[in-house]
Amino acid sequence: MILHPGVLALLAGSLLVSALLVASAWNGLVILRRWDLSSGSAVQLALERRTYLVSTIVGYVLAFELVSLFLYVYTADALAPMFTGAMCAAGTLAANGWGYPVLVLRLANFVLAGLWLVVNRADTLGHDYPLVRPKYALLLALAPLVLAEAVLQARFFLALEPEVITSCCGSLFSRGGPSAVGAGLAALPAAPLGVALYATAGAAGGAGAALGRWGRGGAGVALAVLLGVAAALALVAGLAALVTWVSPYVYELPTHRCPFCLLQAEYGWIGYPLYGTLLGGAVCGMGAGVLVPARRVPSLAAAVPALQRRLAIAAAALFGLFAALVSWKVLASHLAA
Amino acid sequence: MIELRNVRKVFNEGRPDELTAVDGVSLAIAPRTVTVLRGPSGSGKTSLLSLIGAMARPTSGRIVVDGREITSLPERFLTDVRRRTFGFVFQQGNLVRGVTTLENVMLPAYPLGEPRPALLARARGLLEMLDLGHRLRSRAEWLSGGEAQRAAIARALVNAPKVIIADEPTAHLDTKLTREFMEIVARLKAEGKTIVIASHDPIVCDDPVVDRAVGMRDGRLDGDGA
Repeated sequence: MILHPGVLALLAGSLLVSALLVASAWNGLVILRRWDLSSGSAVQLALERRTYLVSTIVGYVLAFELVSLFLYVYTADALAPMFTGAMCAAGTLAANGWGYPVLVLRLANFVLAGLWLVVNRADTLGHDYPLVRPKYALLLALAPLVLAEAVLQARFFLALEPEVITSCCGSLFSRGGPSAVGAGLAALPAAPLGVALYATAGAAGGAGAALGRWGRGGAGVALAVLLGVAAALALVAGLAALVTWVSPYVYELPTHRCPFCLLQAEYGWIGYPLYGTLLGGAVCGMGAGVLVPARRVPSLAAAVPALQRRLAIAAAALFGLFAALVSWKVLASHLAA
Repeated sequence: MIELRNVRKVFNEGRPDELTAVDGVSLAIAPRTVTVLRGPSGSGKTSLLSLIGAMARPTSGRIVVDGREITSLPERFLTDVRRRTFGFVFQQGNLVRGVTTLENVMLPAYPLGEPRPALLARARGLLEMLDLGHRLRSRAEWLSGGEAQRAAIARALVNAPKVIIADEPTAHLDTKLTREFMEIVARLKAEGKTIVIASHDPIVCDDPVVDRAVGMRDGRLDGDGA
């Protein structure tokens, strides 16, 4: 194990997040089984008091979970000079078999944690805990994933040895490279993915802007669904296109496709705003879509459409910024000339 | 209408010093009436008032105010109910020392963000109605016991609540001031307020303005509550 401040922060953070989420999931289980708002029993009143506290704690815990995705790749990038062959986070994550599974779990948990925060926000807008059951059902799905992430991450960091010879991103993300996912991404057609990036981000941004502008009436439901679907597609297309189509323009090297070198100072840390806007836009857009069924809840009839409009505007702004950043890096690249 | 359904309040539950302050109380309080909770010290009057006024949550049972169940409300909603529905008059007055009488009366309205001129006019009007027009600029600690009590009543009324909750409001008043207090209660009742008072003062309990005196002992109602 390497005693790097980032490693220690991630291990301590994951331990704390897992412990609090497991405890909260237990509370969620009790809520799913025994919640009855019509009852005035001591158990019900205790649950009502506790859910307020638990939701607040889980909110902070999951906010850390969102931030810790970036801390994870930053730490992997910072550790790269310690491994023979590693040039960026790609090499560190390939130093043993756990690095990439953790990254995938962290990405999935980022989205789920973001959606939980959106659902929780909507729940607090109703006076009668209107989304308490779906909220805790989602938490019950999320808790094992966060726990798995913590365990795998601990295995990854505990098994890291500086003497390990690993692969560099040039090898991992090249056609015929040792990583099936990396080679698969590198083999994807670049230009169609660029089109897919603009099409999906444009659809999500457009749906977001339309929902923010005209989301009050019946059109709000259709626009929110469209935004949710488009945001999910934009996330997938955006991540793939960043590796396959955008990154060569940033590196100004047609053969170099790496999702992590973007995060380095050499390239102006452009990866952080790129991934941040893409992931943030996706969570806001998908969050607006996820809230569609909540529009039918009487106590949320006014609050949820307003929240969806705010999320839609945020999604439109973030996807717009993402597309603008991508365009800037592509057009400003010597590779485009 | 305030309705309590089998309300219980237990302090330090599960510990050796567990205390059941309110034990299975069911009670219906009609609007625009004066109800007195009467009983010896430790009978649970103050605890019950705190529950009715949404200052504390019951251990079990429900409380419904004007058709809205309030015990399950999350705190952010309960604060608003507490602020707009109830006005509180405490045993000690609980005026803020070092602040003028007028500012004391205006304090509970500040979180609502009402324009200051309108609030100022209302607070002034309430104090003048309660014969404190000459004490607007006096600091709270300069007021006599009766004046402080009337200032506390003005403060309870500043947000125009439907319900006034008063906990032993005459405990520190002499007979004359107690009767004056009950005259104010009669005026408030005539204005359509619902008033719930916890008191063991016979002058309060036997006053003709009181519609109903409910006895309490050991956290339970003595007679018919509902």
